[in-house]
Amino acid sequence: MRGAPVDFDGVWKKFRRGERHDSLRDLIPATARRLLRRGPRPDLAASEFWAVRDISFSVRPGEALGIIGPNGAGKSTILKLLTRILRPTRGTCEVRGRAGALIEVAAGFHPDLTGRENLYLQGAIMGMRRAEITRKFDEIVEFSGVGEFIDTPVKRYSSGMNARLGFAIAAHLDPDVLLIDEVLSVGDVAFQERCVARMRTMLARGVPLVFVSHNLSAVTSLCTRAIVLARGQMVFDGAPADAVREYRGVLPALDASADADDGRDVPIRITGVDVSAPGSSPATVESGGELRVRVSYRAARPVDAHIAIDIHSADGVYCAGINTQMDGQNLGPLTGAGAVDLVIPRLSLLPGCYLISAGILDGRRLHALDVQSRAHPITVYSTRRDFGLVCLDHSWEHRLEVVTS
Amino acid sequence: MALDVVREQVEYRELLVRITGRDLLLRYKQTAMGFGWAIFMPLVNTAIFSIVFTRVAPVDTGVPYPLFAFCGLLAWNWFASSLRFAVTSLSSNASLVTKVYFPREILPFSAVLVGFADLAVASIVLVGLMAYYGIVPGPALLALPVVIAVQLLFTTAVALLLSMANLFYRDVKYLFEVAITIWMFATSVVYPIERVGGRLGVLLALNPMTHIVDAWRSILLEGALPPAGPFAATAALSVVACAAAWLLFHAAEFRFAENV
Repeated sequence: MRGAPVDFDGVWKKFRRGERHDSLRDLIPATARRLLRRGPRPDLAASEFWAVRDISFSVRPGEALGIIGPNGAGKSTILKLLTRILRPTRGTCEVRGRAGALIEVAAGFHPDLTGRENLYLQGAIMGMRRAEITRKFDEIVEFSGVGEFIDTPVKRYSSGMNARLGFAIAAHLDPDVLLIDEVLSVGDVAFQERCVARMRTMLARGVPLVFVSHNLSAVTSLCTRAIVLARGQMVFDGAPADAVREYRGVLPALDASADADDGRDVPIRITGVDVSAPGSSPATVESGGELRVRVSYRAARPVDAHIAIDIHSADGVYCAGINTQMDGQNLGPLTGAGAVDLVIPRLSLLPGCYLISAGILDGRRLHALDVQSRAHPITVYSTRRDFGLVCLDHSWEHRLEVVTS
Repeated sequence: MALDVVREQVEYRELLVRITGRDLLLRYKQTAMGFGWAIFMPLVNTAIFSIVFTRVAPVDTGVPYPLFAFCGLLAWNWFASSLRFAVTSLSSNASLVTKVYFPREILPFSAVLVGFADLAVASIVLVGLMAYYGIVPGPALLALPVVIAVQLLFTTAVALLLSMANLFYRDVKYLFEVAITIWMFATSVVYPIERVGGRLGVLLALNPMTHIVDAWRSILLEGALPPAGPFAATAALSVVACAAAWLLFHAAEFRFAENV
């Protein structure tokens, strides 16, 4: 749509793979080769690839667009194109007005400067005037919760404080367009709630929003529309709930096409993975609640195999890896079609978005026969406010020492 | 396009002030002597060259040699230290360049302004030296802002090109150190360059920095305006070079984030 606040029109972006020439030693032979080689240059050299392929979308005032897709699908490239850090190889990309990017919110911070000095510097980098920063100063400090440490050099800040101060500055920019990249993982639950509230206020004022995230539940609750990317291409554009369904469909397809490439004879295949939790919508689990993962298979011939399940957090931390062999569970030779259920009675993960991988391993050599890597997202929710990845079963005991004088 | 470039710079003028302020503040915070370095370095160099050129190989400079050398070093150091900062200004701010959008020329510009702050501090010593030798500048002093403007433009042109070149080829940083030393001795910083003479002398007369440094000295120490012809040519060259370098920088800017 012409004239929309965000307009992405037939955008392609090419990147070079591997090493660049960054010393003269490499430049001279490369230039010589280029001069000697006659004829037009090919469209895409062997070392190049398209990170974004022919993507078009626009965002209207008051609209919140979610962008989801597996790692390497081109989500971050799109955000960098929107923030004008990168320029499209083909097509046009336009953002009208001041773009507030909640991306790398503390990028301009210098460790030796105090919070106050950095606040003014970062504000100026984001395009705020001095008077504007001075006017909003107290509000920003209040929002960040940094409080009395505002005159301490930020090298003494925790990473959470850094990010909170950065986010607070970005959130007070009063942008015409808001661009967000996975910032909801910043800070504690209370701060996250404040961030979401702030985004909703801006959205209600008609500020369009582009939100890139792995957190599918945040996308469905915040966005009015979502697009799904896979390998640089847009595979879906529509309602967030449908997009999430589409996203789950895309992942196994990607793995299957990767498998098809090597063309080897596979004795057994995963035909489906179902993640469920009793009493809640699929793939949403309460911290400490039950989680079931059903791996369905079809074997071409009897095969001695084990089932493995891995859990990664959305930002890639390997949280858990379990398999039937380590548990001493003998499944016997798998024949025909069947399913194996993994039951986790108390899922001791803290709230967040996690990705489940399922694999069938060869019984003796333990190499993978078929894998669906990080294909199944689950969202864990809870009222607990612990920090970290896992919620440990715990209690406190306080012993008073009797002092005898 | 040229107009857009300038308009954007005006829009981001506060960022230029902030980044320059940041670099000055950091220097003050990170070093014990702070701005003392701006005075200390030209003083040490003046002392060394005074020994060489008054005792070992005396040269006739027309004005007392320490004054001649200090004034030359003052102008030269603004040029050289601006460029030294500018060479790494983009590559050392990689996190900014790859993550936030702002007109990137602000970084080399601020390097030139930081160098100017050093010049302002060190000029206090020059005033002291002039008082000591009893030299009072005449009405020619009114032309000094023009000389400063010409040097600003010329330095900015070189700063823009160097910062950009170092982003694409990291060898530039090392080549720069060699080149700036050669350039200093090819400029009339610590000795009058016209003493070189011959064909080399003709070649050296093409160096814009010589005309700029000589202009500083002629205004401050001799109370006379610099020779109009060569200085006007230098000024014209500086304007053209600065505009061309800026447009080139702007055209290459979008590739910076991919090359840091």
